[in-house]
Amino acid sequence: MTVAIEAQGLEKTYRGSLGRGGATALRGVDLRVERGTAFGLIGPNGAGKTTFVKALLGVVRPTSGRVSLLGGDPDDPAVRRRVGYLPERLALPPAWTPVEVLKAVARLKRLGPARAEVARRLEEVGMAEDSGRKVGGFSKGMKQRVGLACALLGSPDLLVLDEPTDGLDPLARVEVRSLLAREIGRGATLFLNSHLLAETERVCGRIGILVEGRVVREGALSDLRAALPRWRLRLAGPEAAIAAAGFSSGGDGSFAFEGEAEAMNAALDRARGAGALVLEVAQDSKDLEAVLAEAVGNEAPGREAGRP
Amino acid sequence: MSALLVAGDLLREARSRRWTLALAGAVTLALVMVALGLRLEVVDGALAATRLFGGTLDTDIRSVDVALRPLFAATSWLVFFGGTLFGIAAVSDFAPSMLAPGRVEHLLSLPVQRWQLLLGTFLGVEALVLGGALYGGGGMALLLLAKTGVWNPGPVLAAGMAAVAFAPVYAVMLGATLLARSAALSAAAGFLLFLAGVVAGKRDAISPVFKPGAARAMFLMATAPLPRLTPLAEAGADLAQAKPLAVWPLLGFVAGAALFAAAALALAAARFERKDF
Repeated sequence: MTVAIEAQGLEKTYRGSLGRGGATALRGVDLRVERGTAFGLIGPNGAGKTTFVKALLGVVRPTSGRVSLLGGDPDDPAVRRRVGYLPERLALPPAWTPVEVLKAVARLKRLGPARAEVARRLEEVGMAEDSGRKVGGFSKGMKQRVGLACALLGSPDLLVLDEPTDGLDPLARVEVRSLLAREIGRGATLFLNSHLLAETERVCGRIGILVEGRVVREGALSDLRAALPRWRLRLAGPEAAIAAAGFSSGGDGSFAFEGEAEAMNAALDRARGAGALVLEVAQDSKDLEAVLAEAVGNEAPGREAGRP
Repeated sequence: MSALLVAGDLLREARSRRWTLALAGAVTLALVMVALGLRLEVVDGALAATRLFGGTLDTDIRSVDVALRPLFAATSWLVFFGGTLFGIAAVSDFAPSMLAPGRVEHLLSLPVQRWQLLLGTFLGVEALVLGGALYGGGGMALLLLAKTGVWNPGPVLAAGMAAVAFAPVYAVMLGATLLARSAALSAAAGFLLFLAGVVAGKRDAISPVFKPGAARAMFLMATAPLPRLTPLAEAGADLAQAKPLAVWPLLGFVAGAALFAAAALALAAARFERKDF
């Protein structure tokens, strides 16, 4: 599998006014994202996520370190032609219609006559009906959809999306998720920076946690969400006997058990012996919020102010 | 090629902006006012009675083209200075809007180099100013032609010279925008350079005002690198008055303005290249 994004020792310090009192946003970030995968970058505010995304695309010049996109230099127009980017706070020419915006992007990406694709992309993001209206009168969510259509133009090999569902209503988020799933399905690499952990969890297979300008944890979502010695069950039968077997009742036939798998099975045997019927057993695992909180907690001492 | 695409997009954006349309409307209104207000009556190619905005033009010159030379010269001055100052006000917002947060990141992620983005913006604005100046200057020349039957290319040349003079002015405006993203600062920087360029164009005439020695040397030193804009303004007026056009010195002033613009653009590009957004 080839590498879509590779950052080595990436550092960024913003100079303060008159060259004094700079703020360090990235402190030696090393990261690899394989092609065809969906990678989510999460972290607390001020962790350096947006700076990292901007450094990937050459919008911010790294103080030191190296970035490669799709095996090439991010400054190379041939590489950028294969990248679709949605910035965090997208601003579009207010006097233009979505069609004009997308056509301008298509021209700069040298996509040739792109009328059909422009119409298709606007349809995909649910903006076909508003394609003749001026962008200046759009809500944040509508602008975000136009920006997403821009990023998808030309079916790029790498999609870098900074808070893509920000400002979207829940239904639109679902649509965007399925759109992104289709893009991943056709082989595109997705790099997602989002503070919406549930979104990241649903879309991305691998997660990186950035805290204070460093990647403190990185891996497959399933590995990060390590299973906990905690179980949730649905049991039918005499409640007193089930409780006596070691389960704590949550009401409506739901029970919980804290302990390793062997202990839980032994308790289940006791409950079944007393006439209980097992309907459902599920092991608890950490959600991404807990993983992030743990990562931030571990890194918390000595945190310094950094620019996002 | 990418720079030309950026320039084309800037022109498309200008076309769809209300502000640009309002300015084009203002120029058109001015032309219409001139067309309605300027009453010239010419009989058999000679000046029978000339009425300018209702007033009689007292002259014993019998040839209409000679009699109207001051009018064409004044028109040329108006086109040059009005066009340049109008241009500064009209385009001061383009670069700040291109560098707006959320827009510049998007542009920089597209397959276009930073210097191409800057050059494209410069070329687009230059084309816009040239188009506007030609519309105003050419329109005036055509109106006067229709009224008097006299064709005088002075205002058209003045429009071209206004576009030349605008090159160093806009290069400095771009540079100022990269220091601080503000349309007002950009316009102020352009206006200051324009004033300085007008002064620099008359530096030989102005320098005797200063005492010989340090003060005069400082004035001459300070104005030496500046583009000479006054001779560019004079070219259109000279042509309007049928004065011989000194082509080589004029080309020298044009080259000087172009060189200054190129240097200012190069400095702006160097700054843009290092800037974080």
